[in-house]
Amino acid sequence: MGFSILHFLRRIVSDFDATHRESVSALTIMEMEELENIFALLLLGSFVGFPAPPTFLAVELLPHMERELQVLNQRAKDASDMFAEMCGTLGID
Amino acid sequence: MKIIFYTGKGGVGKSTMSAASAWQLSQSHKVLIVSLDPAHNLGDIFGTRLNDRKTSFSKNLFLKEIDLQKLSREYLQREIKVLTGTYRYLQTINLDNYFSVLKYSPGIEEYALLTSIEETIRSENTFDYIIFDTPPTGLTLRFLALPRVTITWIERLIQIRRTILEKRFTIHRIRGTLDKKETVLDYREEDDEAIKRLKALDKNYQELNAILQGRNSSVVLVYNPDVLSLRESERLIEGLQELGLPLRLLINNKVTDENTTMADRIDDVIGKKVQGGVPIQRVNLSSSLLDGAKNTLYDVPENIISLFL
Repeated sequence: MGFSILHFLRRIVSDFDATHRESVSALTIMEMEELENIFALLLLGSFVGFPAPPTFLAVELLPHMERELQVLNQRAKDASDMFAEMCGTLGID
Repeated sequence: MKIIFYTGKGGVGKSTMSAASAWQLSQSHKVLIVSLDPAHNLGDIFGTRLNDRKTSFSKNLFLKEIDLQKLSREYLQREIKVLTGTYRYLQTINLDNYFSVLKYSPGIEEYALLTSIEETIRSENTFDYIIFDTPPTGLTLRFLALPRVTITWIERLIQIRRTILEKRFTIHRIRGTLDKKETVLDYREEDDEAIKRLKALDKNYQELNAILQGRNSSVVLVYNPDVLSLRESERLIEGLQELGLPLRLLINNKVTDENTTMADRIDDVIGKKVQGGVPIQRVNLSSSLLDGAKNTLYDVPENIISLFL
């Protein structure tokens, strides 16, 4: 019984710790995803009318940009409701 | 090894002048002349059939015509192979074929051209001289500008990538991994494929830029005594100055008895445009050839390349 309470308390502390870590890093994650989005946009921006680097540079890096493309895709999907997206990230209900 | 680029407006006689120079140089040195112009006529000048492999014309003179389309095709094939390998899951829904549209991307030709110059410079180091007969001004300026433009982009992209990796590292330090199945994003420069590729490209282009701007590289500008040729030459001179490429010789080609006054005026304008006094060579075009006289068409001076010896 004692073991189970201890285990329970440990679990609470560990979950509390994880939640805190998550909330502390949320803003940095958002920043990182924005940068990944910018990185992908800079390379592939010619599709949406941005000045683009020499095409071969995009071709050279394309094989290593799976994650950036996913982020870009997700950003495009969320673009219709950016306000909700920002509120969600900043924890505003 | 010295590298010489012959540039100028289409039809001014770049190929003829580069061929004449190559022939003169080959009397005492080992020379490779490479035609980069998609409309090749190097083979016609030497009266031989050429392809994208170097062909021996004499003991000291080797000729080569670059097949630009083949080069672009080969480059894209390599990249498409890597792409379909990386995004393998796309094959299950037959989307990998869409990568084939990359062959229509603008700028690939310039890149293929630059790659071929780079490969030639690096692999043909047994020659004393490599002469490149370039395509008309527009394309030439674009591919000569490519290393510098690319370096600027690469430096910016490396900066952003470094910030991304720093953020990833911070996140990793704060969060750690919540469970064992979670994928940890690369946060070290030596693990991140994108930054590794960018750094490799940066190094490559810095080296190439140093070669192109170095004291063993020269650009020769060929022009004719007419206003159109003058205007394009002026643009080319400005472009070369902006890129820091060394213009070392001017050739006023196709000068006849009839256009000597015009040739003088054009030499004067171009001479003022060039900073640092670049020598001007004149090549006379025989106008009596049409009357059946048995002289040569071009009166190429015997010492046209004395400057490079």
